[in-house]
Amino acid sequence: MFEAAPINAVMRALADPTRRAVFERVAKSDEITVVELTRGSGVTQGAISQHLKSLKQAGLVAERPAGRNVYYRAEPMGLAPLADWMSHYGAFWRERFANLRTLLEEIDPPTSASNETDSKETDTKET
Amino acid sequence: MTEAALISETHEIVVDQVFPHAAETIWRALTTGELIARWLMPADGFAPVEGNSFTYKTTAAGNWDGTIHCQVLEVVPNERLVYSWQGGHEANVGYGSRLQTIVTWTLFRVEGGTRVRLVHSGFVLPKNDTAFRNMSDGWKKVVRNLDAVVAEQASSGKPN
Repeated sequence: MFEAAPINAVMRALADPTRRAVFERVAKSDEITVVELTRGSGVTQGAISQHLKSLKQAGLVAERPAGRNVYYRAEPMGLAPLADWMSHYGAFWRERFANLRTLLEEIDPPTSASNETDSKETDTKET
Repeated sequence: MTEAALISETHEIVVDQVFPHAAETIWRALTTGELIARWLMPADGFAPVEGNSFTYKTTAAGNWDGTIHCQVLEVVPNERLVYSWQGGHEANVGYGSRLQTIVTWTLFRVEGGTRVRLVHSGFVLPKNDTAFRNMSDGWKKVVRNLDAVVAEQASSGKPN
């Protein structure tokens, strides 16, 4: 079972540019071995292994031993600890909008029968 | 592709609804301490004045006492209210982790009432599970975002 690593561990693991590059390559592959990662990286296999170890400790990569090889892949929920606020506030604001609607009805009761509600889903957007 | 769209530099939450009330009435609900407390939560020290600092008190988590620190950044009566929304602690995970965001309220007069648009922006990473599961080039962008976060943390000193 995946357990979220502390936010600091995730940050620390990715603060190192070389390690971050390793993580990016792992994330872009379905699965990748240390040998493949070392090829063309400009650093030693030992260094790559160390980086993978840190990434694994931070919950960012997972490994799958197969025979003589170990395959690495990105842990899908590795960055999730950093995202939880989003889901929290998604629900929070939807709920508060409902409260606001109730309050407004109270302080400003409808005089006519107009009660339009054109609501959109709460969602995430790019900026 | 939707997956690509879900991952971006920063993320925001948008809630956009039409209320059958005048903009002035809604503005009052958004900017009167006593009313804010009734639909949102008590805003301690709030005044609709640029530069005003106030706090919300929410559920504590770990090293964070649950205080949201806000500062009013922009006030255009009956139209626009912007404030910063900061809280959390670096030692926390998920809910309660470091948060540096902006809340923007915009009111548009429309037929039969007012459209209220809330944008809570500045979340640094994607929340969508699909985006986490589908690892494509998206990861690269996600990781790039961390540069900013890491730099931010480094420059603000370590409060531990």
